[in-house]
Amino acid sequence: MTSTLIETSIYAAISESIQAEAKRILSDGQVSTIVGYAAARRKGSAQPIVITDASDAQKLIFTPACVNNLAVYLTKAKKDIPKKGKIGIVVKGCDMKALTGLMGESQLKREELYLIGVPCAGVLASTFAPSQELTDESLAPKCTECDAHLPTGCDFVPTETPLTPELEKKYAVEIARLEALTPAERWAYWKEQFAKCIKCYACRQVCPFCFCEQCLCDRNKPQMVETTPRPAGNTAWHIVRAMHLAGRCAGCAECERVCPMDIPLNLLNRKMAKELKELYDHEAGFEVTEKGPLTMFNEKDDQSFIK
Amino acid sequence: MHLAQQQHTFEPKIFAFVCTWCTYAGADLAGTSRMQYPSNVRVLKFPCTGRIDPVFILKAFQQGADGVLVSGCHPGDCHYIAGNFHARRRFAVFRKLLEFVGVDLNRLQFSWVSAAEGGKWVEVVTDLTEKVRNMGPMTEFKELAMEEQWSGAINTPELKEAYNAI
Repeated sequence: MTSTLIETSIYAAISESIQAEAKRILSDGQVSTIVGYAAARRKGSAQPIVITDASDAQKLIFTPACVNNLAVYLTKAKKDIPKKGKIGIVVKGCDMKALTGLMGESQLKREELYLIGVPCAGVLASTFAPSQELTDESLAPKCTECDAHLPTGCDFVPTETPLTPELEKKYAVEIARLEALTPAERWAYWKEQFAKCIKCYACRQVCPFCFCEQCLCDRNKPQMVETTPRPAGNTAWHIVRAMHLAGRCAGCAECERVCPMDIPLNLLNRKMAKELKELYDHEAGFEVTEKGPLTMFNEKDDQSFIK
Repeated sequence: MHLAQQQHTFEPKIFAFVCTWCTYAGADLAGTSRMQYPSNVRVLKFPCTGRIDPVFILKAFQQGADGVLVSGCHPGDCHYIAGNFHARRRFAVFRKLLEFVGVDLNRLQFSWVSAAEGGKWVEVVTDLTEKVRNMGPMTEFKELAMEEQWSGAINTPELKEAYNAI
């Protein structure tokens, strides 16, 4: 099977619009800071950048290598970004969902942000070199399931519309495969995956929703989750992580991208999202809601599993 | 009069996370009413089912539980008004997660037992104990806890040789 090319020619025009808009809002003082993407040293690669000067606006780009979810800079690194004025941020549709969730959880205020949305056809998977062209194979798995190619609720969105072919939904297929297995087979699968974990906590560091000042998994009195990178603690860590993200994670898949051991972490998150959709008809990231599905209840909730 | 004790080859360990207002009082009632139920169950008292974090269940399995029971007030009876409603959602989702990771859900039982339902407590505990007894010991988490293998598994001949040479 030959791979289909994903159309990314609009990214150049998008970059130009972002630059022009960034220049405008920085020079007329609407925002004090912009978080965006800039070219990095390796050919075709991109890295996050924080700019505070209008003359730096031309550094901003958007390419298939702009994989990061910049929303994370507004939670954990927020303290490092100057507080005065609004902060501008370049967001893809998936990043926008994270921001929506963070606003719902009172971590961010909409009026303190200037959102530059990016019409996005997809970005590269972490396993491919940044100079690779974007095909259905080199596309990040999350992009095959994307339902937010055009971010909603932004202050500025370039007018380009991405061409988005219908692709095989990689996570849905994998979840269906695992669900069809017996519990013992699934246990064997996850045991192998979790055994790889080195407890670097990159998944936690990169997650916009892991903003707790002190993580339950770092506490030692009482110690709920073993902190050493041994199979028992690893398994507990990933189960706790998936549980804490249930109903909140909108699938930016950053955890999976940064995992140095290639553990399919987003698979757990997507499974939880699927279950919450089925159980409580809730999908994270579409509207700012004060309460998530697990912080509210309905008296008529299903309790067929309770004796 | 006591019934003759039946001898079993395997006595499962059951951890019961119960709420103090309903199920704990229900278990008390079973005791004061001199009802018999398996002594396999270890009761842990919580203020409310809403206080029972899913991580407790994980911890119980890791520490050697063969079965876990979570029990509290019937919906609408919560001492804190809505703790059990929140718990119900949380555990509905947690069950799905455990199932996906490959844990046999027959080892995990949820129930509503009020302070007046000593009989129901006996029934729930007996059912779960017998079910888990027939399933045998829960080995998955215990094996994980016993494994001294760090992330760098010694899974190639070269590494094994080097390891044996130490």
